[in-house]
Amino acid sequence: MVTIIDRTLTTFNTAGITSQDLNHFCDLLFTCGVTKIELTPDLVARLNFPETAAGLKKWLLGRNFFLTQLTPIAADSMRCSSKEPKPLWQLEANDLLEKNIPVSKINPLQHRKIRITGLDDLMTRDYPAIFKTLLSSGVETLDFCPGNQKHCATAIAMEWLHAGGQSISCGFTNHHNFAPLEEVLMSLSLSLPDNFTGDLSVLSELRSLYEKLSGQPVSKMKAIIGEDIFKVESGIHVDGVLKNPRTYEPFNPQTVGSQREIVLGKHSGRQSILYKLNQPDLSESAAHSILKQIKKRCSQLGRNLSDLELRTLASEVQNDKQTEVYC
Amino acid sequence: MTNRRKYIVDTTLRDGEQSPGMAFSIREKVTIAKSLDALGVSRIEAGTPAMGREECRAFEKIKLACQKAQIIGWNRMNLGDISQSIDCGADIIHVCVPASDLLIREKLRTTRSQVLETLSACAAAIHDEKRELTIGLEDASRADWDFVVLLIETARDLGATTLRFSDTVGIMSPSLCKATISRIPDNIDIEVHMHNDLGMAVANSIQGLRSGAKYADSTLFGIGERAGNCNLEHLLIATQGQLDFGISLDELQWRQADLKSIIYKNKLTYA
Repeated sequence: MVTIIDRTLTTFNTAGITSQDLNHFCDLLFTCGVTKIELTPDLVARLNFPETAAGLKKWLLGRNFFLTQLTPIAADSMRCSSKEPKPLWQLEANDLLEKNIPVSKINPLQHRKIRITGLDDLMTRDYPAIFKTLLSSGVETLDFCPGNQKHCATAIAMEWLHAGGQSISCGFTNHHNFAPLEEVLMSLSLSLPDNFTGDLSVLSELRSLYEKLSGQPVSKMKAIIGEDIFKVESGIHVDGVLKNPRTYEPFNPQTVGSQREIVLGKHSGRQSILYKLNQPDLSESAAHSILKQIKKRCSQLGRNLSDLELRTLASEVQNDKQTEVYC
Repeated sequence: MTNRRKYIVDTTLRDGEQSPGMAFSIREKVTIAKSLDALGVSRIEAGTPAMGREECRAFEKIKLACQKAQIIGWNRMNLGDISQSIDCGADIIHVCVPASDLLIREKLRTTRSQVLETLSACAAAIHDEKRELTIGLEDASRADWDFVVLLIETARDLGATTLRFSDTVGIMSPSLCKATISRIPDNIDIEVHMHNDLGMAVANSIQGLRSGAKYADSTLFGIGERAGNCNLEHLLIATQGQLDFGISLDELQWRQADLKSIIYKNKLTYA
């Protein structure tokens, strides 16, 4: 099983984060498949941690640390009394030595526990040979945190895992210079399912909480978690998706806590009208007229029409009215 | 690595505009096309003429406005659609052929042999009008490889100048892309069309190009169905000093900034 480290909480200002939100965020990260969560020392106090079980003092040395999940047996053994809440998580030292080294100086790696950072440009290099060198270097723990300045970090992360890498560091969404966690997890679940046990249906909730904590909106077309990625407008795709969603979906939207939606716009076809209006007996000429009006309105507005706007427009067309619809 | 000189096929006006909520007027389409032409994009996929009269008018104006780029008309495997593309004056008539059994069976509700037969009829119609034919293999990444090979051989025999390999639902990885494109015989120009569903469209395009593809499809801001297409700006950033598309990154960035208000009219989709 590969180790997935999430570094999101080390990257933005966490001063205003409540204990409840922080715990919820960590809980969702573990649920979706993260193995370790990297945290800064100032977040320790805001985690709901039973001090007796945690042994916090030795961690407050200014270093980041990892939060990991406890197995049920370990949790029972750490509980001192039956009144004390059962611990779910434990702290672990982050003793990885970070190295941002050029490809030409990869060998020799003389430390026992290393995190390789950067290497943003691997995709245009002979990366299989570079991975081979790294993996045969004899390092005890070798984590890789590829940089994303060349927009290839997810691909590099996945190629690393396919090459035999056992640990990868990521961050949620693409507001930082890490491989987007959600992309790595989904790719892992599709290509190396035996190495994945997470539940990705919490990703939608995680996105909302991330936006709240970071104050940064996630792009609506962001891979895996964007709000609009399962909206289908074009006639060709609607036709396919209504017959069998697999035709134009890489995975079921429910897998990531989302759902598909047929929307109406400039590229809609007759099938979308029939589906949206739920009028199988709608005449060919009426559907054509409605479609023509939809395309005209959407081109003017530069957006989709709502269901209400469609129904108004359809009744106008069907009643042969020329009243303007105010959208 | 194969030849460093590569070419961009921009599909902002076709696949990009298919993003939900995106809709360009004729004037906006012409503005975008002129900018792409000035930038040095070699081929512009300007839309789907079968969509109707307005799309055809946009095509005609784009054709007049662009000085260097070849203008592509995108078509389903349908003689009526192709006729409209020809009438619009498109330089290249692109025919999209569903390649996976999933699309052939579930969407077209037809058979492989019928696909091959229809494709031949479409090619004949295009050659009759003396237009350049390019063929796209839709959903090629989920297709049976033997049928992909048969389609490639057919495309070459039918006189297609370019074969577009489409990862329609964006599920490929760079190593798979490399292995797949490397297997395609080099007697036809290869174009890679990568979607970004797993966030790997740029990396997959790079591996396709490094494995022998001559063209990469991309869009401004990476717009397109679902999570979008290969983002042109990101592709240029990732390949700086490694691949030459004949396009200046600086110029792309200022032109793209100028076009942002046209592309994102009402939406906070950019990130």
